[in-house]
Amino acid sequence: MDRVSVLETEISELRRILKEKENELQELKSLISDQQSSKELNNHSQPISDASKSSVDACLPKWAIERYSRQILLSDIGVEGQVKICSAKVLIVGAGGLGCPAAMYLAGAGIGEIGIVDYDAVDLTNVHRQLLHHESNENTSKAFSAAESLRCINSKIKITPYNVQLDSKNAQQIASAYDLVLDCSDNVPTRYLLNDLCVMLKIPLISGSALKMEGQLTIYGYRRQDHHQETYIGPCYRCVFPTPPPPAAVGSCSAHGVAGPVPGTVGTLQALEAIKYVIGRTERHLLVGRMLLFDGEDATFRAVKLRPRRPACVACGDRGGGRLIDYEQFCNAPAKEKDLDLEVLPPENRVSANELNVMMNNEERGGRHLVVDVRNEQEYAMCHIQGSVNYPVENLHRNLEELIEKTKEFDGVVFVCRRGNDSQVVAKKVLDVTDKERWSKVKDLVGGLHSWSKNVDPDFPVY
Amino acid sequence: MAETLTVEVMFGGGAELLFNKVKRKEIALPPLKTFLPDSQNQNWTLKELLIWLKDNLLVEREELFLKDDSVRPGILVLINEEDWELHGQLNYELKENDKIMFISTLHGG
Repeated sequence: MDRVSVLETEISELRRILKEKENELQELKSLISDQQSSKELNNHSQPISDASKSSVDACLPKWAIERYSRQILLSDIGVEGQVKICSAKVLIVGAGGLGCPAAMYLAGAGIGEIGIVDYDAVDLTNVHRQLLHHESNENTSKAFSAAESLRCINSKIKITPYNVQLDSKNAQQIASAYDLVLDCSDNVPTRYLLNDLCVMLKIPLISGSALKMEGQLTIYGYRRQDHHQETYIGPCYRCVFPTPPPPAAVGSCSAHGVAGPVPGTVGTLQALEAIKYVIGRTERHLLVGRMLLFDGEDATFRAVKLRPRRPACVACGDRGGGRLIDYEQFCNAPAKEKDLDLEVLPPENRVSANELNVMMNNEERGGRHLVVDVRNEQEYAMCHIQGSVNYPVENLHRNLEELIEKTKEFDGVVFVCRRGNDSQVVAKKVLDVTDKERWSKVKDLVGGLHSWSKNVDPDFPVY
Repeated sequence: MAETLTVEVMFGGGAELLFNKVKRKEIALPPLKTFLPDSQNQNWTLKELLIWLKDNLLVEREELFLKDDSVRPGILVLINEEDWELHGQLNYELKENDKIMFISTLHGG
């Protein structure tokens, strides 16, 4: 066993050195290729925005023709399209389940500059779907981890990681260097921020989202360029969703789960729409004014028609836009996929993990307690406290009375869940129909099973 | 048999959780006056459909589906795959075999 740990230490040290050297090499290479490709490409092509003069005789250096030949062969892309791709600048917000596949395909396609924003660090629970991050990146910055993997895919492009939380103060400066933004974020405030930002900068926003087995995708704030004039075609995010949803209605991947290929599919399609936009496809071909609904459970795609742009929209309307606001306040939610810490119950109805452990081991003195786990069946099957019973919160509209009857066979009841929120909600429902003298017998576990794992049973999985 | 109106309702993006996980269901609506004798309308509109859904299919947390007389912010209503804004929203008059979808918007990534 000693030999195992010695080898593990040595290997991780070697990996660290290898990574340093790789980074140094990449930096040097990208410096050289920056100089080369800007010479090679800019000599032959016009900037993308100058569409009217776009060069017909654009040509590419040998390496680029070889490297990108499989997509240049497409009549949709061709040499001219590839030149546009090589000089495009795309900002990806979120290096998660959507951002990883989107960035991989854009880097592969040779998008000239990719910016990737994420404030978060890699967690092992991300790795099943966020495929730019590897086991060895645990606890390191997602933006840097993504950039490092992208450089391994394509050393010929410029990749800029932004290890920051995008907000109203820094967003404009970061995004103004790009032609296009991909919303690969995971929360409502950031979605409104990105919408208002893109409207302000007059660049389109390719918005993807995914949860559980479903995904959604559309392009907001698309402007058609004709005769030196730009007009909005299709709505912005605020045209469709003028009012943020109630926070209780917003699900998250960490709370509700997600199948990796679902954001994988949506992120991949975001990359495809980005490439189509960059090479000059218009609203006739892009997901503008339409939203793609992907249901992975039924294997169906459905493109539905959205409402048009609202002239009175506060963002893209005739008198709208112009400034960014406090989006966390506007949405009444944090701009992080953060879990709530509810305080529904008074302190006397709550027990700590250690107290619960003592209660369960001292039945002669403290009486028999029923431990009710209110997580869903899949979570209960993953792990649960020995002796607990499962009454998922989502089924209680059917079997609350049965549960209450069952609690009467015991001297007390303790509700548990993952983090100690739902357990309070259920305990409150039970308290509402319990006689006052038994109130002190109904409790919930503070901090949920996370606290149980931390304080009582270190072998209990934290997920 | 009195005239019934058959429409298909579909729920997605998490909205199905409020409807006992039912993602699609064909429903037969009775004549409007039998369901809502006091209704101002002669025929079924989206407005009455919401009331019918609340009474017949919604199993929990009404506030996560409805707000005031309409659907809560963040749920996209689609009439035959088109945004209900294009069809008069609550005033849209239901037709035989219409497909009405309620899609909760996703924010995860």
